[in-house]
Parts: sequence; structure tokens; C-alpha cells
Amino acid sequence: MTDAAINGLVETARLIRRDVVRMIHLAGDGHPGPALSVVDIVTALYFAAMRIDPSRPQWPERDRFILSKGHACPALYAALARRGYFPMEELPGLRSLPSMLQGHPDMNKTPGIDMTSGSLGNGIGLGLGMALAGRLRGLPYDTFVVTGDGELEEGVVWEAAMAACRYRVGRLTVIVDHNGMQSGGAVEAVSGLVPIRPKWEAFGWHLQEIDGHDMGQILEAVALARRVGDRPSVILAHTVKGKGVPFMEGDNSWHKRVPTREEFAAAMAALGGEG
Amino acid sequence: MRLESTRTAVTETLLEMAETDPNILLVCADSVLVIRGRLFAERFPERYFDVGIAEQNAVCCAAGLAACGFVPFVATYAGFISMRACEQVRTFVAYPGLPVKLVGANGGMASGEREGVTHQFFEDLGILRTIPGITVVVPAEASQVREAIRAVARCDGPAYVRVGSGRDPVVFEPPAPPFVLGKARVLRAVGREVALFGCGLILNRVLEAAGELEKRGVRATVVEVHTLKPLDVESIAGLLADCGAAVSVEDHNIIGGLGSAIAEVAAEEAPVPLVRLGLRDLYPRSGKPEELLDAYHIGVTDIVEAALRVIERKRRPARAGRPTA
Repeated sequence: MTDAAINGLVETARLIRRDVVRMIHLAGDGHPGPALSVVDIVTALYFAAMRIDPSRPQWPERDRFILSKGHACPALYAALARRGYFPMEELPGLRSLPSMLQGHPDMNKTPGIDMTSGSLGNGIGLGLGMALAGRLRGLPYDTFVVTGDGELEEGVVWEAAMAACRYRVGRLTVIVDHNGMQSGGAVEAVSGLVPIRPKWEAFGWHLQEIDGHDMGQILEAVALARRVGDRPSVILAHTVKGKGVPFMEGDNSWHKRVPTREEFAAAMAALGGEG
Repeated sequence: MRLESTRTAVTETLLEMAETDPNILLVCADSVLVIRGRLFAERFPERYFDVGIAEQNAVCCAAGLAACGFVPFVATYAGFISMRACEQVRTFVAYPGLPVKLVGANGGMASGEREGVTHQFFEDLGILRTIPGITVVVPAEASQVREAIRAVARCDGPAYVRVGSGRDPVVFEPPAPPFVLGKARVLRAVGREVALFGCGLILNRVLEAAGELEKRGVRATVVEVHTLKPLDVESIAGLLADCGAAVSVEDHNIIGGLGSAIAEVAAEEAPVPLVRLGLRDLYPRSGKPEELLDAYHIGVTDIVEAALRVIERKRRPARAGRPTA
């Protein structure tokens, strides 16, 4: 991928971050920290890596995407809107009664959402089912699942991790948005999950570790994961919760919090430019 | 008493359907022996998945398969579907309305029999009935399981079919009466003194009780409510109004299952006296199935006595609000 193309993605990610902060400010509700940490990953997938056609959201051969950390959905909604799945005018309606944009993703209400999500831990098993379905149908699609890191504390994650290896599902890629924080504090402090890497390796997954805010690294890792072939792939993407808004970065109070008018203005200024 | 396996009936029917419908899949959680599924696994190895002792993942995996156009049947013990994987059933099957078909074995205390409470499941119907969008079916014998499996495969969306231990009483002399999903059916209509509502593998006892009542000159109508959801409210309300007294019989906690469903219809549509027979909100013990049903008051004499009691209440209604002293 050319530098110009990478720069284009970086610019798209910046616009999506602005969308995210604006949506949550207007909605008066949402999770800015977890959404901002996942923006670069979602942007890389929807604007470069995935084989999709926004004019045909149900195209059987499309790559699938599951946002297992469904609370980060403002980032996904903004990406889908900017990619053309639905008008940008829908974004300010987030979480309001008439809106197609539910508090957590709903596959029946929002075009482009491949799977309902929001209760943590379940995305990998759901993605495994989709990957098995693709293999059974002989369709050439990949399934991407983005999870949080705290989410990996759920037992069902490891149930799915086992089964995915047992079925040697090659077209399943899990990207862990490893920002080190969960609702109640640092992942390391809350649970016995850390270190994460050896757990995936012990379960037999192909593993890569990258900077989850480096567009080039994300795309390269996704391309390699697609080629693994005979086993599932996990990309441990190191990220910063609240990435892009300096006063939110690493401050876990932004896990779920609404920017005031002043904070909104400061965030938009930090994110820079128009749009 | 003649026995036939409701579990074998599941796999036989899946095998038959899978021959012509390439979308039919079987998903197990180390439950292939439970559901007598070996034949399916051998005939359609690529359409059979076993994710290990991991029911939550079995349901997630099935939801993913269903989201791509397949019709997966997830078959394991009733309680591991309705309790262990309850949230996955609710959020990833029922909420998106995906065509995952759940089959729960050991439905009821008697089906769990000597295994004890960990394998006796008498809360499944109540739990699943509160989840919007799931069809809930409780067949009375193996032939009815075949009908139910075919019916839920044909209908859109999620469904749950309850089966037993594999040593399940045969109720009907063939041919069994026609099975229509979502319809309550009158199995025996001697008269309209009392309606006996039953579902599942205890239906033989309800029919026997009706015969016993007839010998005593009491004319009962036996109604099988094999589909607890969607509930045939119209037929049930009509029968309640006609009979003016009712007994419900089920191998389930009296909270949440058939008895609750009938009580809900009675309260809203046709208030008549009702006695609910079933487990009275307690944990049973290990034992042989028929002994368990008798010990926990789901016996023929219990049904007869309940019918006589409720008819008496119909004749002499207690006056509400009357001072007791």
C-alpha cells in the first residue's frame, strides 16, 4: 500500500474519531474511550482490508465483521456511514428511540452490521460459526472479530478458541484491542488475564503483536492473517484507550462518560481540521 | 408400559430431513451420545460439529452458522441450553431471530431420573418462555418429537424442543392425532366438567386419570398443550370457559411452565378455578422415573384428586374478601 493510501486511511480515522466524539456528545451517552481505541483497526478493515460492497450489505461472499466489544459501536457506525451503508445524517441519532443506531450493534436494525453484539465474550464463537459456514458453502470470505482485552476474561472466549483450533479454521481472524483497561480499572489489576500472548499461543493460534494505531502494521498483520490458512489467527493490537484526544488518553474515567460542551470543543480542536 | 426413545427420534428425523435439505446441521457439546447422533455424524460428517463440553460456544457457533443461512440444531441437555447458555440463546439466537433450533434432553425431573438434580431439568420451559421470539415445544412421545422437529425446521426463527431420557413412554396408539405447531388439541372429550391440561412425557398419566375419573362418573376433557409458545390462547380460553374448572399437569416446576401459562390465560381471559400439578418449587431426589412422578405428586391419583377438588371449588366458590374469623 502506498504512503498516499496510508495517509488517506489516517485521515479517515481522524474523521471517524471526530464523528465518535460528536455522536456521544450529542447522544449524551456512550463509551468514548473504548471507541477511540479501536478506530484505526475498524478504519483499516472497512476502508482497505475487507472485501465488502456497501450497496449489497447481504452479499453472501462479503468478508464478515463482528465487533465483539459492542460498546465501541460509535466507531463502527461512523465507519459504516462514511463507507456508504447508510447516510451520515443517521449518526447524531445514536441511542435515541427512532434511530437505527442502537446502544449496541443490532444486525436487524442497522445495514452493514453482520452480527448483533454487546454482551462480551461471544464474538469469537459467533465468528467461528460464520467461518465454518463459509467453508461449508465454499465461499471465499474471511471473518474478522474485534474484541477488547478485558473481554478475554469471559470463559466462552476460550471455549471458542479451543473449537476454532480443533476445526482448523483458517479464515477467522481475531483482533484484540489491547488498551490495557476495562470498566473497573487496569486489566492487569482486575483479573489474572495478563500475560495474554502465551494464552493464545497455548491454544494453538497464529499470533502477531502490533501497534494498533499504526495503519501500516494493521494492514500488514491482517494480510498475513488471511494467508495463515490452516489455523485461526489472533492479532494482539496494542492500543491506547481514548486515542486521539489527549485528555481522554489513558484516563479510564472516559470508559463511559459524556464530554461537556467545553470538553467537546477541546476534543474537536485536538482532533484537528474540519469534518 | 411401552417405551420409545424421544432422543433417537430427534436424530432419525434430522437424518431424514438432511437428505433433502443441505442446510440442516447438527451442533453438539460432547452430546453426540446423549442425542444418539452418531448416525448423523457418520452420514454427514461435514455438517456435524462438536465443540466439546462448551454449551455457550455451541450456541454462539450455531448462531454464526445460522446468520449465514444454515439451520443448525443444537442438541444437548435441557438445562445446559436453558441455563448454562441462556444468555447466548437470548441475545444471539432469539434477539436477532436466527433459525437456531435447540433440542433439550432430560426435560423434566423424571427424564433426569437417577442422575439427580444436576441432570433433572424442570426450569427450562419457564426460562425459555420468558424470552421473546422462541417457539417452545414439549412433545408427548417419540412420534410427536418427529413431528415437532419437522415443524420447527420449517418455521422461521428460533425454537426449543424438549425431549426425555431415551426411555420414554408411548402415549398414542398409531396413528397419533395430527400435530399442528402452535395449536392445543383435545385428546379426549368425555365431557366438560373439568379440563385437564397436560404436556410432555406425563401425558399418559393425564389420559389414565381421565379414564379413572370417567369410571367415577366425572366427565373430563384432556387437552394437550404441546406448544407452550406461541400459546394457543383462544382454544385454551374457550376450554376454560366451557369446563369452568381446570387442572394442569407437567413435569416442570409449577412456576413458569404449563401451569403458569394456563393460569395467565385463566386470569386474563376466563377466570376459573385451577389446580397446578408439577414440582412444587423444590428440588427432587434421584430415583426411577415412574416412582419419582408418584413421589412428587404427579401421579394418576393426584390428578384424579385435583380434578375432584377443582370441580368442588367450581360448585362452591370461595367468596373473596370474606373475613376468616
